[in-house]
Amino acid sequence: MKEKRKRSIRILKEIFSRDKLIIRLIFFTCIILVAYFVYYFIIWNVIVSMTDWTGLIQTYNFVGLENYIAMFNDPIFWTSLANNFIFMLIFIPTSLIIGLLLAILLDQKIRREGVFRSIYLLPFALSFIVTAYLWQWMFVQDGVLNNVLEIFGLGFLDIRWISDPNIALISVSIALVWQFSGYIMLIFLASMRSIPVSHIMAAQVDGASGFKLYTRVIIPQIKTSTFSAFVILMVFALKAFDFIWILTDEGGPGWATTILPITIYKVAFKANMFAYSSAIATTLLFIVMIIVIPYLYITYRKRR
Amino acid sequence: MESRQKTALLLIIAIAATGGIVGGVMYAVMAPTAPEDTIEIYHWWTSGGEAAAIEALIGEYEALYPDTVVQSLSIAGGAGFEMRVKIKTLMLAGQPPDTFQIHAGYEWKVFYEAALLDNIDHIWTQTLKDVIPDVIEDINKGPDGHYYSVPVNIHRSNVVWFNYEILTDTGINPATLTTWPAFWAACDAIIANPNYTITEPVAMGEQWTAAHAFEQILASVGVDVYEDWINGDIDSGTATHYPELVTALEIYDNLTNYMNSDWSVLGWDSAIARILAATPSAAFAIMGDWANGEFLQAEWDYNVEYGTIAVPGTGNMYGLVVDCFEKPKNIDHPTQVDRWLGVVASKDGQDAFNPLKGSIAARTDANLALYGAYQQAAIADFNAIDASATSYMFPSVVHGSGAPEEFNDGLQPLIGAFTAGSATISATATAIAALAVTHSTAFTRVWDLDGV
Repeated sequence: MKEKRKRSIRILKEIFSRDKLIIRLIFFTCIILVAYFVYYFIIWNVIVSMTDWTGLIQTYNFVGLENYIAMFNDPIFWTSLANNFIFMLIFIPTSLIIGLLLAILLDQKIRREGVFRSIYLLPFALSFIVTAYLWQWMFVQDGVLNNVLEIFGLGFLDIRWISDPNIALISVSIALVWQFSGYIMLIFLASMRSIPVSHIMAAQVDGASGFKLYTRVIIPQIKTSTFSAFVILMVFALKAFDFIWILTDEGGPGWATTILPITIYKVAFKANMFAYSSAIATTLLFIVMIIVIPYLYITYRKRR
Repeated sequence: MESRQKTALLLIIAIAATGGIVGGVMYAVMAPTAPEDTIEIYHWWTSGGEAAAIEALIGEYEALYPDTVVQSLSIAGGAGFEMRVKIKTLMLAGQPPDTFQIHAGYEWKVFYEAALLDNIDHIWTQTLKDVIPDVIEDINKGPDGHYYSVPVNIHRSNVVWFNYEILTDTGINPATLTTWPAFWAACDAIIANPNYTITEPVAMGEQWTAAHAFEQILASVGVDVYEDWINGDIDSGTATHYPELVTALEIYDNLTNYMNSDWSVLGWDSAIARILAATPSAAFAIMGDWANGEFLQAEWDYNVEYGTIAVPGTGNMYGLVVDCFEKPKNIDHPTQVDRWLGVVASKDGQDAFNPLKGSIAARTDANLALYGAYQQAAIADFNAIDASATSYMFPSVVHGSGAPEEFNDGLQPLIGAFTAGSATISATATAIAALAVTHSTAFTRVWDLDGV
């Protein structure tokens, strides 16, 4: 009995020893909040997607996979999905390449590097809502972009940007590449700076310089951060919402820039089909998982 | 054993701590800090004249009930869509707002069907019914015949705004533009006028603006066509089955030839600005009469520098965009809301609100002297159309009253795609008709616009 009490006191003492207690409390508090506000609602979303919940009338009758079947027969779902992938195909490689080029430029030990870094990073610090409105003004007929084309004698192209459904997604990508490439540059630059100087010097002693130094020595060493940047861009491209919502007036013209998150929001709050919207959201979650899980797996394994 | 006990104990402490912190914060946030005698009013009026208008209406209320604290809560965006998202989440959370702005009719149907609205027959006294036109009265009724909202104003949707100087210089008399062929001829004449460099005489804005224009064109084809459309009866869109729908799309298609090609990046106000510019790049714009505020802001004089005509073919019609307020069930301040609805419906309330808002009163007894030049003309039209047996009022679909929300939601991108040239006339007609089939159960109202 005495033994037991002693033990309990020891446990309590251990728990309440200041440093550990605070660490543990913070840790568990986060876990509980994340479990409730993230995982619980993900599970809720999946459950709801198999009911006939329409919104304000709160009845939840189980309908199985009916919403998913309806989704596969819905041309708007397929258009949104296709748009999502086309958008990724344009947006991700362009952001990576421009980010890398900017990083290489800044890596040239230029003067006032900090100033340039801030300038390139600035767009990313702005709210998507603000930049979306800015880009609306860029894309108008007599706006900045068409004026620049005019100056270079390309006025005859008469590009209609996001009013032209054929290039609307490209136009959206241009704007988002502008916003993201500074951030990607920062990831690459940090990674380049963490390469031991001895490696670079050794390469230089061996005669590598300029272009070769980058293609043979530096770029191969920033593979991990390329992968991180890729996943960040990918997940963003899948769930981009606010910027496109504002820029193209809810994914227009027609459905030209409607991607899955826009469809999810519209189906829920405009058409009041909450359960159906949850089915699309669950599908989107599944697609994101396909991309993120291998990434987490690889990173985790490497650390071990 | 020890470590398991430790974990369990830690978990309990953590849950208690989390519960304490979250609960405390929630209590602090949600606790009724406001005094008992209060009313919260949600609306989406945030820009210049609109904000002043709702302030004036609240002023009327406060003058009558000085002890009530009025909380005016505004959420702008998407013609009220962003605010409705907030209202829906509040309703779902079981915390209905005291009252909120909404477009009368179908737009509140979703709340009505979930039994979240209280019937307000007591506000609709016989004296009120006498001064409100039948169609507007109808819009505020639920399918069960009871009243669920009171209108605060009426905006006219079927208006063409124009730059007087351009028309005069081109030798066009706006009064003659009563048919589409006359309108096209005027557009061609403006393009040919060497004094201006206008190539796209009709200024158009983003997707809903385009859908708005289409709606007016459909009305111009005939009030019975429009009636069938909002009753969900245009459910076969081929030329042989419903030729009028195809006719409307053909007219709209012709309109796109005269429209600015960058329509989809312009807000409606930026489109109007093209008429107002020092070197105007457009002469006409089809827009509801909230556009009047843009001209007033530029200090233009009505019928001198700018003017209006009804959308060609709709001279004997008044397109209705009606804002209203209602009374949700299970609210904290029902008495205050009843009083508010009374003020909203009153002559004084409407005459305080509407001159600033740019709309006209939903009543036929407004005090004309309080209103501006355009509004006086609109009121005259409104009363004439109300009195005439061969004139009609039609509720707007794009602005929430005419047809179900989901139908409107589907319509806008269809018109957007058509405007952008990515769909043909027959494909669009078929798609619009299919939309009525898809949402056929949502059409719970039978409109009778022409009294036949």
